[in-house]
Amino acid sequence: MTTLAGPQHATRWARTTRWLCIGVGAVAALTIALGGASAHGPDPTLSGGPFGQNQDLRFRWRSGSEPTATIKTAIKAAAADVNTSRGSKAATFTYDASGSNPIGYGIGATCGVNGLACFSRTVPTGFTMWLREQGHVFDWGTLKWCQAYTTPPSGCYDAQTIALDEFGHIEVLNHHDNYDNDADYEDAVVQTFSRTKPTAGWNMHAFGRCDVATLQRQYDMQSWTAKYSTCLDLTTVLTLTASPTVVALGGTTTLTATLTVADYDSYVRLGGNPVSGRVVTLQRRAPSTTTWANVGTMPVGASAGTYVLLQRLTADAEYRAVFASPTTEGLDGDISPTVRVYVGGCLGAAALDIAIAIPCY
Amino acid sequence: MPRLSVRLSSVTILCLAQITTACTTAGPTPSALGSIASAARSATFPAASRTPVASRTPGASRTPVVSTSPSSAEPPAATLAVEGGDPVAGQLGSFTWNEGGSDSPWLPGTPVDVGAGEVLTVTIADGVAVDDWSARRVPAGTTDGVGAVRLGGGPAPVTFDAPAPGSWSVQVLVRFAGGLGSAAYYWQLTVR
Repeated sequence: MTTLAGPQHATRWARTTRWLCIGVGAVAALTIALGGASAHGPDPTLSGGPFGQNQDLRFRWRSGSEPTATIKTAIKAAAADVNTSRGSKAATFTYDASGSNPIGYGIGATCGVNGLACFSRTVPTGFTMWLREQGHVFDWGTLKWCQAYTTPPSGCYDAQTIALDEFGHIEVLNHHDNYDNDADYEDAVVQTFSRTKPTAGWNMHAFGRCDVATLQRQYDMQSWTAKYSTCLDLTTVLTLTASPTVVALGGTTTLTATLTVADYDSYVRLGGNPVSGRVVTLQRRAPSTTTWANVGTMPVGASAGTYVLLQRLTADAEYRAVFASPTTEGLDGDISPTVRVYVGGCLGAAALDIAIAIPCY
Repeated sequence: MPRLSVRLSSVTILCLAQITTACTTAGPTPSALGSIASAARSATFPAASRTPVASRTPGASRTPVVSTSPSSAEPPAATLAVEGGDPVAGQLGSFTWNEGGSDSPWLPGTPVDVGAGEVLTVTIADGVAVDDWSARRVPAGTTDGVGAVRLGGGPAPVTFDAPAPGSWSVQVLVRFAGGLGSAAYYWQLTVR
């Protein structure tokens, strides 16, 4: 065992303390950034899991408990909202008079004492949904659906928003964890408490970004070029290969970058996804130097998640690919490891039949 | 269990205090650590001489506690109590439970009278365990929960201090252990 004493010990202690402080600072910053607990992130999920990818769930009106015409319109509109805003391969909802999933309206609603609307789900076979009737008297007041009025009054609930909330639950979504002050209320339709006109969020007709984030994790992306929800914060992995890694003077190498989502279990279906159609930049520097220069944007390659650029070399060079964090989606940027390409001399140059400005000896 | 939590919390605070001090000074001083630990103790343990002043509002309706299993349609009842006071069942708002659920507004809550600073404890019936919880309040009569202010939160047990004197609608949101679901319960606190 080595015993440290005097200045050497002091230096090591100072170094250790500095790293400890940096670590503690980072943990503290992370804790503050996360706001404690699980506030504000992708919606939690229900334990029963998702339906099949793009499964078409067909619904009908419950016999004897059919909604009014305006509520039917609102529910159908909410189903369309799901299909256009799911941002994933989440299940879709389609009205079908002979569908197997009943949606009811009225006094038969099994929504507990205080519920405006409710659902049940049985994966993978189906679901039920109920909306209370207009004028239902609760302990806390009388239910007003905005759709029941030509000019909706303050304090009414938008049936389209409420139905979208229920469809979100049926997909797999649990109530969103908001910031304490609900500043992020509009990041999710699937909320712990519903809002009335004219409070912000009362008439959302598309899933919020944190609803979509969970739908993406549970059902996957519609395509490799589709944008990831900004409610996500996914680590990406960028690699770079050169082929060949040794070229003749003036020879060409093909640099191929591959961008994927990191393969973490917590990313569920998103882990390992190729990420196509983004901006990946190739950078170059001379060996033993530190300054990188942009070569250019790498065009999209033939394979999903690849970006390819050819380079002609007259001297050894180091390359790396850079994917900058985009502001429009929930991906973190990454920089590939460095790849070195060697120029092997003049032997191969003649075969290339090119003019080389550098004399060969 | 609470005693264990207190001990772990104290250890955590002590460790953090030690590291924080090391980051700013040459080393921790016993007096600094002592004051932090003592602050942690006083924040955790209510004064032994505290007099329970809470009581259920006379005439307030009280929802009977229903035995609940994971196969029930609704989550179990939740009761709020202060030391020495009667437990009062909360109004059940939005919930998810057993692959079903219901959506509600921010509810006014079951009326309860408590004293300022009183420690409030929420208990879930049927021994259903809680993973984590949060409590927020708005002035009674506020619609849509606008302007909610946090009262507390974290892992079980569900315990927080009564807010300042006034009339408040308090939401306690719990996430049940084992992926059973979540539920919001409401009480209307009159704090003297």
